[in-house]
Amino acid sequence: MSVISGPGSAAVEEVGGGFDAGFEGEGQLPPGIGPWKLAWRRLRRNRVAMFFGFVFLLVVVLCLLAPVYSQDIAHISPDYGNPTGTFTLNGKTQFVLNTVGVPIGPTWNVNHFFFGADDQGRDVAVRLLYGGRTSLMIGAVATLITMIIGTLLGIVAGFFRGWWDAILRSANDVVWTYPAVLLGITVGTVLNIHGIGPLHGTSALVPAVVIGFVYIPYVFRPVRGQVLTLRERDFIDAARQQGLSNWQIMISEILPNLSSTIVVFVPLIMANAILLEAGLTFLGAGVQPPNASWGTMISDGINNDIPTAFHNVLVPGIMLVIAVMSINIFGDGLRDALDPRSKVRVGR
Amino acid sequence: MLLGTAPQSLDPGLDYTTQGSEFNWVVYTGLTTYAHSTGAAGGNLIPGLCAALPVISDGGKTYTCTLRKGLTYSNGKPVKASDFAYTVERAINVPWGGSGSFITPNIVGAQAYANHKAKSISGITTDDATGKITIHLTAAYGPFDNVLAFPSLGLIPSGFPMKVEATSPPPGDGPYMITNIVPNQSFTAVRNPHWAAQNIPGIPAGHVTVNVKISSNVQANALSVLNNSADIFDWADTIPGSLLGQIQSQAASRFKMVNLGGSTYYIFMNMTEKPFNNQLAREAVVTGLNQDAMSRLGSGTLEPACYFLPPAVPGHPTVPCPYGTPGLGNIAKAKQLVQQSGMAGQPVTVWSETRSPRQQWMTYYTQYLNQIGFKATQKVIADATYFTTIGQSKSVHPQTGFADWNQDFPNPVDFYGPLLDGASILPTNNENFGQTNDPYINAQVKKLGATPSTQLSTVAAQWQALDEYVAKKAYVAVFGYQKFPFFASTRMNYGALVFQPIYGWDITSFALK
Repeated sequence: MSVISGPGSAAVEEVGGGFDAGFEGEGQLPPGIGPWKLAWRRLRRNRVAMFFGFVFLLVVVLCLLAPVYSQDIAHISPDYGNPTGTFTLNGKTQFVLNTVGVPIGPTWNVNHFFFGADDQGRDVAVRLLYGGRTSLMIGAVATLITMIIGTLLGIVAGFFRGWWDAILRSANDVVWTYPAVLLGITVGTVLNIHGIGPLHGTSALVPAVVIGFVYIPYVFRPVRGQVLTLRERDFIDAARQQGLSNWQIMISEILPNLSSTIVVFVPLIMANAILLEAGLTFLGAGVQPPNASWGTMISDGINNDIPTAFHNVLVPGIMLVIAVMSINIFGDGLRDALDPRSKVRVGR
Repeated sequence: MLLGTAPQSLDPGLDYTTQGSEFNWVVYTGLTTYAHSTGAAGGNLIPGLCAALPVISDGGKTYTCTLRKGLTYSNGKPVKASDFAYTVERAINVPWGGSGSFITPNIVGAQAYANHKAKSISGITTDDATGKITIHLTAAYGPFDNVLAFPSLGLIPSGFPMKVEATSPPPGDGPYMITNIVPNQSFTAVRNPHWAAQNIPGIPAGHVTVNVKISSNVQANALSVLNNSADIFDWADTIPGSLLGQIQSQAASRFKMVNLGGSTYYIFMNMTEKPFNNQLAREAVVTGLNQDAMSRLGSGTLEPACYFLPPAVPGHPTVPCPYGTPGLGNIAKAKQLVQQSGMAGQPVTVWSETRSPRQQWMTYYTQYLNQIGFKATQKVIADATYFTTIGQSKSVHPQTGFADWNQDFPNPVDFYGPLLDGASILPTNNENFGQTNDPYINAQVKKLGATPSTQLSTVAAQWQALDEYVAKKAYVAVFGYQKFPFFASTRMNYGALVFQPIYGWDITSFALK
């Protein structure tokens, strides 16, 4: 395997030229340091990116702990609505929903409706965490679909060119031209009724598949562009002369050289996927009730709870902003760390 | 005036919606019409374009009336008796959603015309010289006087195209006419300049031009009326509970919730497949359903109920409900019934619209079904296609979900005919969503439905017995009678406004202070 482009090559050249700034006084770069280690060091020095990466990780962990919060602390499931229920707080008995359906606001008590109740009498804090699991899961699955299919198609189109390239590029352009939200609504609405194969129409994986499909062109195009350049390199000729088949060349020679591109795309696609899921769900073409997602919570809050229960819009909205912003900033930092043209700062 | 949902059409040949009827009934006057009164008086039939209510003869099978003299359409053309036959033919052709229930089964020759086996409807004879109209029915049909009052049978000029004209509907003979139609966005109701001269008693001319805007955000609509940037909130929309308190305190003099007594909100259950082909399973649904919760989810606008016929319809039972007083429901008993039925764990799909609070009601119902032992999931369908989708009894065959019915006229056959009579089950456009096909119900509807509207009181006890039977069989799960908002801006002369029990707002009563 020959790595031509990647985060390490430029740094190795710079180190060869007497570059030692990356170690800030620690002296010469040790020999044999790989490109990934160098990227990690760059990333670590980007404190803003690291901070927001930690924030995103915290959001993920909290959402993964949703069952713990639901069962052991709040003692209520995310879908359980109790419109006629009451609870006692500070010696005062309160209705979860009053007689005209206005839900209780935030109690700031971790055991009872910390962020209040929604218009169905469900615990907002519990739904926020479960909703996060759904939104993040959809984002992750959609990203996986996008990256796998987009990368595969990009490699095939760029490597084989000719008919393959023409067909894939045309199909890609059709999807690319259609506004992502409109395409998502159209496909999502149909699939919500009929499902996809074994997936029931109300499955949370349906929007994941839709979003994954919508974002394929965003990965296909840059990957294809890179592969068109890579296939002309000498090491590809060498691999052919060694008797490797086309598929073997694509997997063992081309794909590793795309790794940094792929890694950079992952957080950026995921951020967009989470946002698009919220948008599609808000418009009725994403996650179906009663499943919780940040999008369903914002939609329900806007439609039913303004102005007296505005917290039902604010809480999931802020959570969405935190998650998307943190992964975006971390993704930017990751891109800077992996960019071969980036120069490590000298001192501080 | 703000409407949360657009009318299906402002062409009466097509429209069969509450929102469309609200305007069309004062644009297209029929041979009969309803009194322009609030409350029960508004359910009384009065002569429309006919000089008197039709004379019923031949054992209830022949209706005869004569048009008033000097009638003209809003375009100035004279109204002729033969226009009635053309109007009915057009309603069949377009087609109007009620034609299958009210025209083709009842009027002699209408079915043959609908099947293209006749060029006209043989059961309708007219004489333009005298204005006489004679209608022969296939069998006595008690509410036929009410059928003649449908806006879709309001006379239009012969020769108007036999297809939907969404932006240029036909001229009618009524206090108002519709102009400036932008489909799904807006339209204007202006006074018909030719109406007042016709001097038809009991049908006022109207005072103002009404600009109607379609806006699906009912919350924003309510706020607009509260802030006086709009004048009328549509009665068929639900004011969010989050605003009710504010409206009640800030606008008490121009707001009230009115139970028209003519609408039933219920959950249909498909009798042809599991689990609801089992009576115990249906009883479980009815026994444990928390109607107090349903009311809170509906912003407190529901009156808990168990009987299919609402209070304003003759035959509404007044005896206690067979499965307990509607309230918090008996979950323990419901769980027990599910176990006894052997249907525990049965998958169930709950169908629902998107608009609030109908989606909330069905979300809660889905949760409730899971609680008592079924495996329920919810399927949400866009409002505009919901009833069309669940009406596909063969291809979609929905198991259970939301349904409601607002009376076309105050006669029990209006509820039982399309919604519970086995004869009304259709493969598409079906309204008997539960596919109820009980021979006893079918026979009673046929027998009692023949009683003329003016003699309903003589069979009210039998309708009541039938309604009690339906409740005991738990064919449907009624969860309330809706109260509707009667909400206007400070500009309106609120005391003069008429809230008609069948059509809602009577726009002929709209007047500024």
